[in-house]
Amino acid sequence: MTTLTLDRINKFYGTLHILKDIDLKIGQGEFISLLGPSGCGKTTTLRCIAGFESISDGRIRFGERDMTNVLPEHRDLGMVFQSYALFPHMTVAENLSFGLEVRKVPAAERASRITRVLEMVKLGEFSGRYPRELSGGQQQRVALARALVIEPQVLLLDEPLANLDASLRDDMRFFIRDLQQRVGITTVYVTHDQSEAMVMSDRIVVMNRGVIEQCGAPRDIYERPASLMVADFIGHSNTIPGQIRGRSEAGYLVDTADGPLHAAGTEGLSGEVRVMIRPENIDMASGENTLTGRVTKSIYQGEDCLLMVELPSGAGVTTSVSADFSLSAGDPVTLGFPARKSWVIAA
Amino acid sequence: MSSVAAQIPRAISGPKHRAPVWWMILPALVLLVGFLILPYVSIVIMSFREASTRAVYGEGFTIAHYRDIVTDPFIWGIVWRTIRMALIVTVATLLLGYPVAYHLARTRSRMSSLLYICVISPLLVGLVVRTFAWMIILSNNGIANGALTGLGLVDRPVQLLNTQLGVTIALIHVFLPFVILPLLGNLQAINPEVALASRSLGASRMRTFFKVTLPLSMPGIQAGSILVFVLSISAYVTPAMLGGTQGRTMAVLVVQYLVDNFRWPAGAALAIFMALTTLAIVVVYLALTARAMRRLP
Amino acid sequence: MNMGRTLWDYAFLGIVTLIYIFLMSPILLVVLMSLSGGEFLAFPPQGISLRWFGELFSNARFLSAALHSVQLAAVSAVVNGVIGTLAAIYVVRFAPQKLANGLRLLMSAPLLVPEILTAIALLFFFFEFGVGNDYPIAIQTGHIVVTFPYVFLNVASALFNFDRSQEEAARSLGAGNWMTFRRVTLPAIKPGVITGCLFAFVISFDIFNISLLLKPVGMTTLPLELFDYLRFNFDPTAAAVATLSIVVTFVAVLIVDLTVGLRSLRF
Repeated sequence: MTTLTLDRINKFYGTLHILKDIDLKIGQGEFISLLGPSGCGKTTTLRCIAGFESISDGRIRFGERDMTNVLPEHRDLGMVFQSYALFPHMTVAENLSFGLEVRKVPAAERASRITRVLEMVKLGEFSGRYPRELSGGQQQRVALARALVIEPQVLLLDEPLANLDASLRDDMRFFIRDLQQRVGITTVYVTHDQSEAMVMSDRIVVMNRGVIEQCGAPRDIYERPASLMVADFIGHSNTIPGQIRGRSEAGYLVDTADGPLHAAGTEGLSGEVRVMIRPENIDMASGENTLTGRVTKSIYQGEDCLLMVELPSGAGVTTSVSADFSLSAGDPVTLGFPARKSWVIAA
Repeated sequence: MSSVAAQIPRAISGPKHRAPVWWMILPALVLLVGFLILPYVSIVIMSFREASTRAVYGEGFTIAHYRDIVTDPFIWGIVWRTIRMALIVTVATLLLGYPVAYHLARTRSRMSSLLYICVISPLLVGLVVRTFAWMIILSNNGIANGALTGLGLVDRPVQLLNTQLGVTIALIHVFLPFVILPLLGNLQAINPEVALASRSLGASRMRTFFKVTLPLSMPGIQAGSILVFVLSISAYVTPAMLGGTQGRTMAVLVVQYLVDNFRWPAGAALAIFMALTTLAIVVVYLALTARAMRRLP
Repeated sequence: MNMGRTLWDYAFLGIVTLIYIFLMSPILLVVLMSLSGGEFLAFPPQGISLRWFGELFSNARFLSAALHSVQLAAVSAVVNGVIGTLAAIYVVRFAPQKLANGLRLLMSAPLLVPEILTAIALLFFFFEFGVGNDYPIAIQTGHIVVTFPYVFLNVASALFNFDRSQEEAARSLGAGNWMTFRRVTLPAIKPGVITGCLFAFVISFDIFNISLLLKPVGMTTLPLELFDYLRFNFDPTAAAVATLSIVVTFVAVLIVDLTVGLRSLRF
């Protein structure tokens, strides 16, 4: 159990600068997700923490210990790989025993720890099976058990749910999170699935092209994205371009091609911006902010109707309405949304 | 050609139209059954025929040849010599070939294609050529002796041609690719994250190799070693060119019986004997390694 | 990928390099020798000269042997190209599940048995049928049998890796079965066929044991001629012959690498 500090990590691959000033302080027992599109550097960062990739500049610390030049096998971590990487020639029990044998844990204690962890992942009767006899979900849980049984300082997971069916993925998310909270282990979780990160994490680190775009609690990331990339990557968003004209009660007054908008935002913004509004905050009547336009598409989705609206300036807004509303293409609509739910992002 | 057109399409189209396609395998079957399987049967038959001084074989059948082989100390000497040489070659090629396969499986450099060519090109260059190269190297004024005398390890050139040692060294070179290729295939098929998992659990690279990589490469080791062993025992060209009389092997003796002495039945019996001893050793080997293989998928 | 190269890593690389040198040097040596200016096959060679290639090309026996080797190899490649491809198509596509594995084993059988035994078997077999060594049929058959698996395995592998949905796509676009086979499947497996035939050619060119026992009077192959030559002569002419062999092989391998890529090979 320890804190994890990434102190201005930089990594070059030849002349490619693939990690730029990655700076992160993770608290004891915290669950943070590294989230981003492929190629953003999240897996590379994880592998640097594990020691499988070297860093060109910066330091990695587990608590007070500087781990930057320490070999992976001496970092005392537990890692779950995307392919699970179970040892095919060993039974489940032997897989779990491996790390304990390396640490010279006596046989009796090994047995009891293995039994306990297998109970935790609900695979008690499977200790004598080989990985090839297990389903994908079961293999995943064995991989988790193997990483936890050694009681490491840090737990690293590299997109562990990517190869599972959708329904199993949902169950496993909660399972992993519950387990992590019970054990209280500092955890770094890599994923490209934003809903996964939202559900599981204490904090989310959104990465893009080797840089951290934003680091914060799920609510902060969702309601107050720091950049356009974060806004677009997490959930659905509508962003309307405009210019800051002045201050207002909620925060800023922004001039857009479709009229003035009041929105909240961080201090010190000016010039070209975008106003973000999430579909769920839009009503079918005028409000503090009002936009009018025409429906271009109305798509029945069962629980609601997806509405695509075109504004006079040509910009598009997406929102959803109750399925009872009978709106079709060509109908005029009025969209209203509160100022404090509108958020200004630097363009 | 139109009959081909009539046959193939219907079969490809799916289960509904089963036109006869067995004719496609017919030529290959004729070739292999008629010109491989049956001929092997004729070796067995030949081994029971009576010998003759006037023709390659005489009237009637006998088991005398087998009896002669089993009771002849000279032949046992050659048998033992051949087996021992084959075992040495097998072990040596495994020890030399494994590092090469391991390196080639994990290297990410652009040289890997070139290195792969280096591994398979000896295979394709021809046995006589390769053995000839070794004749040059092992001769009294060849490189090997040049190096030995140059480094001061010996005073006079060591006799390497026409010895068992020379044959053994040349066979190691000749068969090295046959061990590298199956090993390479096996090592490449192992999930690379498994080794990383082992290290993340605290195992050093050495330990990871011995506890994880090596056991998982057993199928490759088994396949490669059996291949090299069988090839070594039945090798003809290399022992014939390099071995002289000292380095004679079972295969050389068999050819001598057949081609030089026209003792076909005796030669056949010796050939069968060679095949059976090889088979027996391979079966024992498979049994010994079965335990290590059982745990593998 | 691993952090920090240790001393062990360098030692390992050193050993591997030495083994690669061990693998390649005899061949390089032979090529070197063929260019030697001296009279004998000694090392180091004295001077550079092409005279031994001159000797080779004016030696009628070697040339005729080379011609026979090429003939045997070409026929083997073509015959196996046809029957091997047909067999591979059958085994991969049409064979009933129970038979498929057995058939594969049978098709690979020549690779699994020692060549010397196959040579002996064919020697006896042809003798029993009165054919003997009078005609080249015995030696040609031997070459065909031994090189068959190379074509079969390569074509079977190409077929196995071929994505059948391409055929389905062609059929959905209106192509009939024969057209689909001719214009979609066949071109896709062509590299496998060519690779297999090239391998059959190269392997046949270097065959020794089969040729030794089955050769008709008056006909010989390059490896046999070289072998005979070396019993009495130890001069660089032999090295020139060997170098020629090496060049033929390398050209074939290069063709395969450039068209298909070496890693796709199956033995």
